[in-house]
Amino acid sequence: MTMTQDILGRGNREGAALFRDWFAGLNRTAQEGGNAAYVFVMGSANEILKTFDLPVVFPEINSLQTAVRRVAHEYLEDAEDYGYSPDICGYVKADVGMQLRGGDHPMGQIPKPALSVLTNACNTYLKWAEIWERMYQTPTVTIDIPGTRLAGGQTWQGDGDFEQDRAYVEIQLGELISTCEEVTGTKFDIDRFREVLGHTNSMQRSWAKLLDLNRAKPAVFNALTDATIYLGVANGLRGTPEGADYFERLVEEMEYKVANGIGQATDEKYRLIFVGVPCYPIFRRFNELFTEWDGVFVHSTYLWFASGGSNTGFQYDLANPLASLAEGMLISVRDAMDSMFHQNDVLIPMVEDFAIDGVVYHPIKSCRTVSTGLADGRFHLTEQTGISSLFIESDMMDRRVVSEAQMKNRIDAFFEGLESRRHHAMAGGEG
Amino acid sequence: MAYAAGVDVGSTQTKAVIIDEAGVIVGRSLTDTGANVVKAAEHAFEVALEAAGLEEREVEFVVGTGYGRYRVTFGNTQVTEISCHGRGAVHLFPNTRTVVDMGGQDTKAIAVTADGEISDFCMNDKCAAGTGRFLGAAADALDIPLDELGPLSLQGTKPIKISTTCTVFAESEVLAWIGKGKKIEDILLGVHKSIATRSAGLMRRVGINSEITFTGGVSRNEGMVKALEERLGVPLNISEDCHYMGALGAALFALDHVKAGRAPAKSRVEV
Amino acid sequence: MTLTATRVFDEWRDKSLDDALLECRDAVESAEFESVRRWRDAGGKVIGHFEVYFPEEIVHAAGALPFKVRGAPLEPTRADSHFGSYLCSILKTSLELAMSGTVELDMFVSHPICDAARNLSAIWGRNFDYPSQILYLPQNPNSKGSIDYLRHEYDRMRRSVEEAVGTEITEDALRNSVAVFNENRRLLREVYDIKRDTPWLLAAEDAYALVALAGMIPREEHNELLSTLLPVIRERTNRAEDRIRLVFEGGFCEQPPFDLVRMLGRTSYVVDDDLLIGLRWITEDVPVEGDPLWNLAEAYIEKSSYSPVQHDLRKPKEHMLLKRIRGANADAAILAAAKMCEPGLEEQVAYTHALDEAGIAYFVNEFEENMSSFDQLELQVETFVENLLFA
Repeated sequence: MTMTQDILGRGNREGAALFRDWFAGLNRTAQEGGNAAYVFVMGSANEILKTFDLPVVFPEINSLQTAVRRVAHEYLEDAEDYGYSPDICGYVKADVGMQLRGGDHPMGQIPKPALSVLTNACNTYLKWAEIWERMYQTPTVTIDIPGTRLAGGQTWQGDGDFEQDRAYVEIQLGELISTCEEVTGTKFDIDRFREVLGHTNSMQRSWAKLLDLNRAKPAVFNALTDATIYLGVANGLRGTPEGADYFERLVEEMEYKVANGIGQATDEKYRLIFVGVPCYPIFRRFNELFTEWDGVFVHSTYLWFASGGSNTGFQYDLANPLASLAEGMLISVRDAMDSMFHQNDVLIPMVEDFAIDGVVYHPIKSCRTVSTGLADGRFHLTEQTGISSLFIESDMMDRRVVSEAQMKNRIDAFFEGLESRRHHAMAGGEG
Repeated sequence: MAYAAGVDVGSTQTKAVIIDEAGVIVGRSLTDTGANVVKAAEHAFEVALEAAGLEEREVEFVVGTGYGRYRVTFGNTQVTEISCHGRGAVHLFPNTRTVVDMGGQDTKAIAVTADGEISDFCMNDKCAAGTGRFLGAAADALDIPLDELGPLSLQGTKPIKISTTCTVFAESEVLAWIGKGKKIEDILLGVHKSIATRSAGLMRRVGINSEITFTGGVSRNEGMVKALEERLGVPLNISEDCHYMGALGAALFALDHVKAGRAPAKSRVEV
Repeated sequence: MTLTATRVFDEWRDKSLDDALLECRDAVESAEFESVRRWRDAGGKVIGHFEVYFPEEIVHAAGALPFKVRGAPLEPTRADSHFGSYLCSILKTSLELAMSGTVELDMFVSHPICDAARNLSAIWGRNFDYPSQILYLPQNPNSKGSIDYLRHEYDRMRRSVEEAVGTEITEDALRNSVAVFNENRRLLREVYDIKRDTPWLLAAEDAYALVALAGMIPREEHNELLSTLLPVIRERTNRAEDRIRLVFEGGFCEQPPFDLVRMLGRTSYVVDDDLLIGLRWITEDVPVEGDPLWNLAEAYIEKSSYSPVQHDLRKPKEHMLLKRIRGANADAAILAAAKMCEPGLEEQVAYTHALDEAGIAYFVNEFEENMSSFDQLELQVETFVENLLFA
């Protein structure tokens, strides 16, 4: 009994605490006049930055927090006054708004950028970093990571094309190290680097295992709400012993739940996959619109790309650290991009593996990277699997394009369809 | 004889339908929704009862639908209008596989199975470009009653290409064409064609399979029927009752409950 | 390959200059892409490449037609349902051209230029049987590894094109193609020289049509067209008028409607622009000697223009725009962006701030390739120009 009380919900409690500590640390850095490395969730290069003990800021996470805390519109309005269009990424605009306010954020003060590191996994990262270049003359390092060239055409170790891509990424990582040395005035410490890689290895092993545990019926964590807490830790504390330890304990909790058949707070009637980015302006309510019908999210493509492809569970070779980081980033970030552009390759087998009843697509106005291909992807998923799916467009930041009433109408109709489908299937089974 | 009712509280009009055990409509009503949604629902139900010559207690189950479905305070439960339009359309036209419902605020494309089960649906998301609202804007701009738009458009021969997708700008674009000396009939033909194109695009998202049933208030507009038929290249199922499709579907869901004997005692829901 | 002998655009031949330009405008303005169809009907292969830049020499060397996929002013009735609501038009109309059968391709290539376009290759691939892929042009041209990487990526593209076309691409063929394209780039630079130096000799929409044809017909034909017409244009005797000299910025990907270009040309002289910048991306001759793929890769990175969709620390876009404005001795700029175009809209902010600082007048607007009503826009542009003229 005590064991149960102690372990259940532990991951959410500890995750929230680690997340707060991280922001408290950033606040201290900012108060002391220090700067931080600005990085992005798809290919953060945390391993190199942590080796230099650089605090990391994820502007994407800062921005989504303003939405969750229901103040995003204030930041968006400031950025639109500054000249940014209503039709561009809300994350970018919330950050611009925050920079214009001197780093003032609902979770504390955010330090200014000492440097920014970005990948091409999202093209808006490039445009975003250009803003800091203009505002602060921030040194910008791009890690250009070639993605999948054509559907199903991924190359692997040993293939000439793969090795060429890997070599390109490795050269760029070397250039990042030089910039870090210049910015911090310290030499790159390869032993410390190995240590950091080891922590990421542990975290990535756990992350892959965690996602797989939700095959269990009932599913043990909510892939939309609970998992967003996990993602915060996975990004902010990547490459740290605390992060590695957190995920080991989280896997322990989820294994315990699987062993004891403990599911989520709601009854599990319909198992759903979420495709896209959460609706942060009404984060809890959005989930309730599904749980009211006993629909639970057992998986989400967000957990693949927003973890930078950690779902691959890639393990760095500590004997050959830099080459291996290049290889790992290439494979993981490429996977993150595949999760957005080619997600059917993974979704189709999952329908059976995870016993899925429906797929919920949530394309958002803000993010064309994630959203552009979803209507077509859904079309082909339906054609190939016949699975029920729901397509609702809104936004992850801008409540002006989030209509809860309209959303509820569609979600209700979706479940009415699922119910009648199940009803007919059962009736058919009897006859 | 047992009766069931459906009340469809739409954005501009509220419809009520009462059916008997065989699913035959015995009473219907149509009223403007206005500001008091609860009252409109009650009123529509009362008028339908009167038309059917029934007392309220004779109706065993009431399903509310439409955007104001939670305001049908005397109803037993609620079903979305998407499910209701699909259900109603298959009831009236059993070979229906695609439903296009064009109302005052939005347009819906609904794919249905032979059982009336919804296999997919889609609604206009970002704006009212493909909806009845767009017609309203054109009617305002031209100062012509809404129900004359369709017949007038049928007299057009050279449709004007309407490029705006925004209802707010529709009015100024229509006026600009008048300023250029274009005929009202041709402008209206252009407006109808533009809406038909947008609606066909919406329908393509769920797949266009025959037969197609056209429901909702705009289905009474002959100009729109023709424009949509031309766009799709197939005739559409239309009936007098297409306007009442949501309410009819709701009544059919209510009848399911009656037949299953699951009707709880009717009680007023707190709102 | 012998298909280079196939002529697909003869309408301009043996005509007066004005009639020849009319034919060019008709071909570009039409959403039918008749020249591409003729090429195919003659048995030629067509490789469609999406905006912005593509090393067309590789396709040319295979004897195939590189067709610049740049959308069209049409209603995307089939393609629309494959996309969400908040997207630019060019994505949808490009797919529409293929879905409607207006253009038939043997392969489609897009590039990681923006978040929307990167999805296009996957979408295309799911709907057509021929190969659809991404050419990963480097987004880190500042890395010392970028040229070698790009050279290899071009080699990968060479292999893909060989497979799609069924022809080996030899080094000699590539060198020949580089020479043909050098000639083409020289002629295109000449069009822009005329625009800058004597804009009264060539209307904005005519200049645009002459350039855009490069993406629709074989380059040999295009070279012939330009080398025939440009000398005649230079001999025109039109008189210079007192007009405002404008730079149009914002046409690097989705193209403004022809009528918008025409309208600008009526009110002012458009002395420089970034319309179809991909066709003019490489700004100098590419060496014909040596490794052609390396030379092309080096030119992409070292001898090239700029656009909002390429990140290069050496080319802050607002500085490049100021250079363009000053280089063309322009009075003002039109800062346009396609509707829903994220990079274009984002760049407008930097542009306006930089032009404010430099004290250069500008007019900001959004366009869509298939808009058909210009009354409001024309009113605003005319007012803007009048303000400058009478200031």
